[in-house]
Amino acid sequence: METMDMTINALPAFTYNWLHMNEAHLSGVNADAEIPARTEVPQEILEETKAYGDAPANTAKTGAGADLDRLAERAGVPVHIYTAKKGRKVTGDAVRIYLDYADQGFEYDPKAGISGEGTGKINAYNLVLEEDSEMTVVMDYRSAGDAKVLAAVQTKIAAKKNAVLHLVQIQRLGSNVTFLNDIGGNCDESARIEVIRVILSGKNTYDGCRVALSGDRSTLGVDIGYAVSGDGRLDMNYDSYQTGKKTACNISAAGVLRDRAFKLFRGTIDFQAGCSGSTGDEMEDVLLMDEDVVNQTIPLILCAEEDVVGNHGATIGRLDESLMFYMESRGMNRSEIYEMMAKARLDAVIRKIPDEKTRAALSESGEE
Amino acid sequence: MSKEKTYIEDIDRSMYDFRYEEKDVYKVDEGLTPAIVRQISEEKNDPEWMRDFRLKSLDIYNKKQIPNWGPPIDGLNMNNIVTYVRPNTKMHAEWDEVPQDIKETFERLGIPQAERKSLAGVGAQYDSELVYHNVKDEVAAQGVIYTDLESALHGEYADMIRDHFMKLVPPTDHKFAALHGAVWSGGSFVYVPPGVSVEIPLQSYFRLNAPGAGQFEHTLIIVDKGAYLHFIEGCSAPKYNIANLHAGCVELFVGEDATLRYSTIENWSKNMYNLNTKRAKVEKGGKVEWVSGSFGSHVSYLYPMSVLAGEGARSEFTSVTFAGKGQNLDTGCKVVHAAPRTSSVVNTRSISKSGGISTFRSSVVVQKNAEDSKSSVSCQSLMLDSDSRSDTIPAMDIRTQKADIGHEAKIGRISDEAVFYLMSRGISEDEARALIVSGFADNVSKELPLEYAVEMNNLIRLEMKGAIG
Repeated sequence: METMDMTINALPAFTYNWLHMNEAHLSGVNADAEIPARTEVPQEILEETKAYGDAPANTAKTGAGADLDRLAERAGVPVHIYTAKKGRKVTGDAVRIYLDYADQGFEYDPKAGISGEGTGKINAYNLVLEEDSEMTVVMDYRSAGDAKVLAAVQTKIAAKKNAVLHLVQIQRLGSNVTFLNDIGGNCDESARIEVIRVILSGKNTYDGCRVALSGDRSTLGVDIGYAVSGDGRLDMNYDSYQTGKKTACNISAAGVLRDRAFKLFRGTIDFQAGCSGSTGDEMEDVLLMDEDVVNQTIPLILCAEEDVVGNHGATIGRLDESLMFYMESRGMNRSEIYEMMAKARLDAVIRKIPDEKTRAALSESGEE
Repeated sequence: MSKEKTYIEDIDRSMYDFRYEEKDVYKVDEGLTPAIVRQISEEKNDPEWMRDFRLKSLDIYNKKQIPNWGPPIDGLNMNNIVTYVRPNTKMHAEWDEVPQDIKETFERLGIPQAERKSLAGVGAQYDSELVYHNVKDEVAAQGVIYTDLESALHGEYADMIRDHFMKLVPPTDHKFAALHGAVWSGGSFVYVPPGVSVEIPLQSYFRLNAPGAGQFEHTLIIVDKGAYLHFIEGCSAPKYNIANLHAGCVELFVGEDATLRYSTIENWSKNMYNLNTKRAKVEKGGKVEWVSGSFGSHVSYLYPMSVLAGEGARSEFTSVTFAGKGQNLDTGCKVVHAAPRTSSVVNTRSISKSGGISTFRSSVVVQKNAEDSKSSVSCQSLMLDSDSRSDTIPAMDIRTQKADIGHEAKIGRISDEAVFYLMSRGISEDEARALIVSGFADNVSKELPLEYAVEMNNLIRLEMKGAIG
């Protein structure tokens, strides 16, 4: 199957090219099918499948961008659609989608492409929330320890008036996995999308998310917890595109980098003209554990509206000396303190997961 | 409280927007060709290496792409730009010897008066050439060299110039650095010997009078070990209906334990494309302080860069940018921490109104060897109406664990609560809003010498009009 070169995770506004932060490039990508998922779907949720072009949330732009749409369309994979019906608040249980990746038999390098015969996999989902509905969706990505994988998951969301979506995506992938996770959504009036993204492993992870807050008083909450180690690379692009009045977004990322890990976080609050009364907050807190890690952070505020309040902040590096002094005076050594604080960053995100079963599973696996 | 919008006046440019007819000036043809570059080189009696340097720079210029980020510069056509305009005078050390119209220009800008009151030396450039250069005897007696760059290029400092010229900003850096390398003209050279502290500032002022012309002055400052200098740069131009171009270059070498404060009040006219490059290299224990006010230009790309090359080197960057109608000002700074225990502080404000676009763009790079370095970036933006735009694009690239990096940014409008508080103290709403906006820009004005702070406040002149309540 013919491969394609992809440009993904592009910033809405570019900056100096020598920083290599504007966008990510992947050479020689292909995908010809989805992998079968194990799912658990509450009775109240409607489950159906449609062709990519016919899916109801198909028009939503995503964080990764149009090239991931093209990858899915070329692969001809079906879109699995989960719909919360009008007025139904499904709070007792969650839609659970388990994707367990097996070895694909080839190596993939973002610069060199695929070496050997084989094709990647892509799964596509639509989450549709009719008016006044509520739904929790948990997506759990796993792979066998040393499985060689090139895979993508695209999730598009349509949240109608007053709807609430809790989307939890957990990533526990092996050290030979290149993984593209992409979200695109739209919020109508007073709708809310909450995304919790926990990234615990993987070799090359590209993570995109773009939500359009087009309805008045619609809101977006994003909590990201990540741990990148070994030679792992994590490339993120989060974008809150705000056009409705009195919209609000809150993007929070907390992470830990170890060994020779590389991480790039792009986060954009995009106030469009007319979104008066809107707010946007964005914060990243990165703990660097080892000498050879590389951290890149670029938090944007784009503003074409006077009546807004936007804030972003970032703290990067080691632990504060006063905190270290306090903890050391309690008998802990520096290594123990760093490990404890690294765990605390992820725990804080995991605790926000609104699904007890998922929290318990992460706890059992020692992640909390 | 009424929601009717406050009207805030554009910056008053009447004191800068005057012009004199060109008399007997020498100028090259419009455009950019090897023949024109050779013609400039011959006019300036360049040494051979400089002529070759110019031609190589032109080659680089022709190969480099226009940036794919930043404001559009479609309105700038190099085929229409005159890259060298020499006024019909030599450089003088007495204002009385300067031709009357040029002298009047600088008097209206307050330069001779400022020299008498508060400066240790002045260089005044008119179009492509310096027309006045002088330094006080007591400063010269300290061994301080302050002269035009071309005299230095031919005199006893020729080797020093050759060793430093466009070494910090090579022509390969970007397209307009290459342009500068090809057609540069004018500018100043300052050398402050070890341990010498220049107590009062030196100033260079750049005036572009010719329509459709470019100004490409080169400022080269070397502050040797343990020395101190405050250098002030000012610039302005009358407004024309055709594009003018400023692509100057500033290279600052700050020695061990030396300090250089570089202050700029930029007030180019609104037909100006200001594509300027400024860079400082700071050695062990040294410090560079940038103070920058950007008020003019149609389009600006301006990001002074500090390369903290020696252990314990420091940089401070303080700026305010005011973008009004027809302006797209893309400003900010770059810092590279390239040695252990270096530190940087960035504190910026930007204001946009009447359709103006203001972008804060920065990069903080902490290299792997820059252990125990610290950086703090704070940028605040104020939107005065919804016709305008304000963007914040800060980048951080951190490659050592042993770093403390903090960044914060805020964007918003004038707080109703703050206005209400001031009004409850008997201040009118107009005055309250003016006070808040003036205070917002205070980070820069309080860093300038008094006379310049007053000039900046006059420059802003945020007059409040109309019913607000």
